[in-house]
Amino acid sequence: MKRTIIVLLLAITALGVCRSGLAEETSKAEQRRLFREGARLWPVYCSQCHNARPGSEFAPYQWNIIMMHMRTQANLPAKDAQAVLEYLKASR
Amino acid sequence: MRYLIAAFVVFCLIMGGGVAGAQDTSELEQIKREIRNIKADEDRERQRDEELIGQLEKKVEQLENQNHQLQQSSSKLQAQTSQQFQDLQQQISANPSPSQFARSFEDYLGTHQFTLTGGVGGDFIYDRQTATNTFALDFEPIILYRVTDWLLFEGTIEANLPAGGSAEFSMPVATAQIFLNDYMEINAGIFDQPFGDFYEDQSPFWVNRFVTAPLPYGVEALVPPTDLGVQLRGGVQWGALGQDFDYTVWVSNGPSFAPDVPQPVVGQAVNGVNTIKLNTNGQGYGARLRVYPFPLDSGFGRLELGASTLNGKWLDGNWYNAWGVDFAYLRGSLQARGEYLEMYRQMPNAHADNRQGWYVQLGYFLNQVPIPFAPEVVQDFFHRLEPLVRYSGVNQRAIVEDEVSTIPEVGFNGSPSIWTPHPREVALGLDYWIAPSIVWQNEVDLELPEAGGSIISFAGSPTPTITPRGATPNDVSFLSQLAIGF
Repeated sequence: MKRTIIVLLLAITALGVCRSGLAEETSKAEQRRLFREGARLWPVYCSQCHNARPGSEFAPYQWNIIMMHMRTQANLPAKDAQAVLEYLKASR
Repeated sequence: MRYLIAAFVVFCLIMGGGVAGAQDTSELEQIKREIRNIKADEDRERQRDEELIGQLEKKVEQLENQNHQLQQSSSKLQAQTSQQFQDLQQQISANPSPSQFARSFEDYLGTHQFTLTGGVGGDFIYDRQTATNTFALDFEPIILYRVTDWLLFEGTIEANLPAGGSAEFSMPVATAQIFLNDYMEINAGIFDQPFGDFYEDQSPFWVNRFVTAPLPYGVEALVPPTDLGVQLRGGVQWGALGQDFDYTVWVSNGPSFAPDVPQPVVGQAVNGVNTIKLNTNGQGYGARLRVYPFPLDSGFGRLELGASTLNGKWLDGNWYNAWGVDFAYLRGSLQARGEYLEMYRQMPNAHADNRQGWYVQLGYFLNQVPIPFAPEVVQDFFHRLEPLVRYSGVNQRAIVEDEVSTIPEVGFNGSPSIWTPHPREVALGLDYWIAPSIVWQNEVDLELPEAGGSIISFAGSPTPTITPRGATPNDVSFLSQLAIGF
């Protein structure tokens, strides 16, 4: 009985570790996808009104704030704003 | 001990053998029995001792096994600890990646964050008709305060230097932006009028390709530049990447007209903002829709098509209705945009005050144009240039002379030829881009007003004098501006 419980606990732990690793991988893959999409959107969406400003002009935390402002200003779709934000933060 | 007793008995038997006779035989038997018993006892005791020894040996073996296991565990733990220690040392000695550092820094800053953006414009303005040449300065910082990922506060402070006095300050924008979900957002407060493209998207110094505003958004604006109220807005992708649709609907204090004249007249200037609405009980209602038909990968560029409307009662029960359509097109180094808008203002005791305005502009960035054989310095200079042209105009029935001001300011050349019922302007621009948000802009404005319309003048009288405008002389202005977006 005790052995069964131990085996079960080990199995659950192993499953948890695998799942958490998988989630991390998915998150990284999603970030990479957003970066690629942001790289395509950034020059077009920003230039619609003004020159596209490079990511190095502001700190990542500032881009968080500025992109909220720009999402309002340009009525950007939320997912596109997120992609541009990922690109700006990562392309510094 | 037992052996000693047995030996003593045997000795006694031998020594007393002759005396005992038959009686001795039985005693001998008894002694033998006792010897056997003693031997049996000895065997049992030996067996028990052997069993005990066996048990002890097993225990010793078990203890040895346990000791071995403990030694193994201890070695394993030592190895793991050493590895973890080494890993930690490596992590400490290695520099964090930019993303790790950024994440840590954001955690350090907390969720409440603010930043400062905005712009500053320093102008030189010359107008031939008024023989004015002056410098002018305008400073517009934008404070952005992010409370959470769904709440942002924005405040714009405008500081400028008017003629003959100290600085003037105003607050054209102060809003709370509440993100409800991916498709809806509430924007409440005092905001740039979301009518058309100019006020909201093109008015910052470094964003506007020209120094001045196009005529329908200048000193004879058809729509108030700012408004006080609540917006609901958002955007969504309806097709492939780049095919978007966005909307803004709002309710606000709506329009009002300049109260500097004794009675409402045609051609009266619209107020910049209706801060406290006393002119009417009605609200202003506005809507703006935009669509982007081309996918990003189509190769057709980015086209924006928009339509706007603003309606409300400007005085008691008198209606104000405005509508407009606009476009913007961007492809490579080429950018074009234009708008057409109309305004209808119901008058209490006269004919309606109808106005129309439009502009179309074109710009081409020379950064892609090759200049063979030119030195690198020349190429670099040339590739930073952007020539521009814009044509704009307004039609209205009259101009109120009491409102005319030819004092130039940042974004306005001060030409009297603009203050006519039918102004027309050709603006030629040449921008030199020092950085993506730093530009030296040069603009020549050719003011070419058309004849027609009326001049309304009160000149201290409670009733207006109306005279035909007739022909208005042309004018030329030059503006040079250093605009910095920060």
